[in-house]
Amino acid sequence: MKQKLLVTLLDTEGALQRLLGTAERRGFRVCAVHAEVVDSAQCHVAMTVESARDVALLARQLLRLHEVRKVCVA
Amino acid sequence: MDNAGPPDMVVRSGAEWLVSALEAEGVDTVFGYPGGAIMPVYDALVDSRLRHILVRHEQGAALAADGYARASGRIGVCMATSGPGATNLLTGIANAFMDSVPMLAITGQVSSALMGTDAFQEVDIFGMSLPVVKHSFIVRCAADVAATVHEACAIARGGRPGPVLIDLPKDVQLARGTATPSRSREDSGVQPARAVDIDAAISLLSRSARPLLYVGGGVGIARAEMALRDFVAATGVPAVCTLKGLGALDPDAPELMGMLGMHGSPAANHAVQCCDLLVALGARFDDRATGKLETFAPGARVLHIDADAAEIGKLRGADVALRGPLAQLLPILAQRSPVATEDWRAHCASLRRLYANRYDAPGDDVYAPALLHDLSRAAGPGAIVACDVGQHQMWVAQHWRINACNRHLTSGGLGTMGYGLPAALGAQLACPDARVICISGDGSIMMNLQELATARRYGIPVKIVLLDNGCLGMVRQWQELFFEERYSEVDLSDNPDFVALARAFGIAAFSINRRDEVPAAIERVLAATGPILCHVRIDPRANVWPLVPPGKSNGEMMESAA
Repeated sequence: MKQKLLVTLLDTEGALQRLLGTAERRGFRVCAVHAEVVDSAQCHVAMTVESARDVALLARQLLRLHEVRKVCVA
Repeated sequence: MDNAGPPDMVVRSGAEWLVSALEAEGVDTVFGYPGGAIMPVYDALVDSRLRHILVRHEQGAALAADGYARASGRIGVCMATSGPGATNLLTGIANAFMDSVPMLAITGQVSSALMGTDAFQEVDIFGMSLPVVKHSFIVRCAADVAATVHEACAIARGGRPGPVLIDLPKDVQLARGTATPSRSREDSGVQPARAVDIDAAISLLSRSARPLLYVGGGVGIARAEMALRDFVAATGVPAVCTLKGLGALDPDAPELMGMLGMHGSPAANHAVQCCDLLVALGARFDDRATGKLETFAPGARVLHIDADAAEIGKLRGADVALRGPLAQLLPILAQRSPVATEDWRAHCASLRRLYANRYDAPGDDVYAPALLHDLSRAAGPGAIVACDVGQHQMWVAQHWRINACNRHLTSGGLGTMGYGLPAALGAQLACPDARVICISGDGSIMMNLQELATARRYGIPVKIVLLDNGCLGMVRQWQELFFEERYSEVDLSDNPDFVALARAFGIAAFSINRRDEVPAAIERVLAATGPILCHVRIDPRANVWPLVPPGKSNGEMMESAA
């Protein structure tokens, strides 16, 4: 099942890599990503993932990442 | 390091900023191994009050830092050069990640201009370590080094602890500058639980006839052992522990049913299978604890209490989830929870009696469980035991009297063979007055045997008990039971002479083969003032019992091969 996540994260070195890696390692295939730095410090990411697992589990894993500020299941 | 001028005008090299920041964080010991890309840091160490322990392999540095952190509760620090030095740290970093150990790993990196060019000893350790760190940094200018160290230490220690890596290019180590102010630290602690969730938890406890505590390593991490003991004393609710939860309760507590899971006690597993409320405390429903998940605690509701929201519902849904600091929540729950019913407590007590450990195995060979039982009692309640991975690790969990979580150092999540010796060295350096005992196997000890040289160099008085069955015992056991005795690459009967080997490192050593030699051996090991190795030959056919077969329910324990 595909689901979309909206993530706000600090625009620090490796942040996007960490975000995508976490999704894949936790069993979610990343189908689409749009990332945009909106100011000097923050990046907004819209991400579509596919998995048999509950996307809420992924949202909680993403919130553990130090640079992630907000995760919304769209 | 001398500070000339106001703090904001002090000029130092990046390497000097690193060292002074570590000192400011209260770090006293660093485990490491030098090399080309981290030479400026090693130069700065010459003028530092940090104690550097030169290990003989970078993996030993990371695992020693892990042992130091677990035993002391302080952050463990390890460092290595770029390339192979950094990759050799990785297993130890992963070990700390899986078991939530606060660690700072510092790696040298090739100079910034060479990064990305396949330079000599260049690897992308930042990228390679991403899955096994809580966070990581590449520092791009000397002015940011100190602030990065402070932020890294705060992250490593805060909330659910874990390893943080700082990759430091060589030019940044050499460059000089003033320090940028430390970045504001967000509260990485654990948020308090909501009152509505506490009420729901109390309601579940009040309606339960057969409640059972499922105690994980999170209790020790949260330093909630005393709160847990008070809760159990107040309510009489029986408890089972995971491998990492051992020590959270007094080993003599009448409510303690023992370890659950694959090599857990039958009493613990039966109690789990028949409870009607499972109270998971800092536990994560690991497969080694649950067996076949669908059949784990089949009739139980779940009250899951954890500091880490990501653990709630990850594997088993919770009827009530309580996210918050255990040391604060347990006293609240103790005040408002009912006492467990007499029938349930009596049932659990009868299970404990029925499945109590026995040490009367026939024969003259050394019976490892009895040796560990006797050594544990002789060593005393303050002893720290560090073990490797395999059969002996499970025997330690089953038969050692573990009085506190931080006195049982075991690689629970990653299962790292080679953990025991360096972890014991780290623990002994963190707790110089403690008696530190390493229980190892003949497979495991060869994975970091070189650290005997570290024990010798620094006179670290760890006591090593090496249980030698001449094979990879746990793998052999599984091949016997689940692969129709088709033994594949488990024979270690050509092991070296471990006593001669230890002596070659300058470590006192002796060997025993028979059961009647055990009492004198224990006395000799414990009386030694320096490091000592006791080589114990045991039966290669010995198995760890009981055992839940892979993929089976915890209710289907095997208690022998028959």
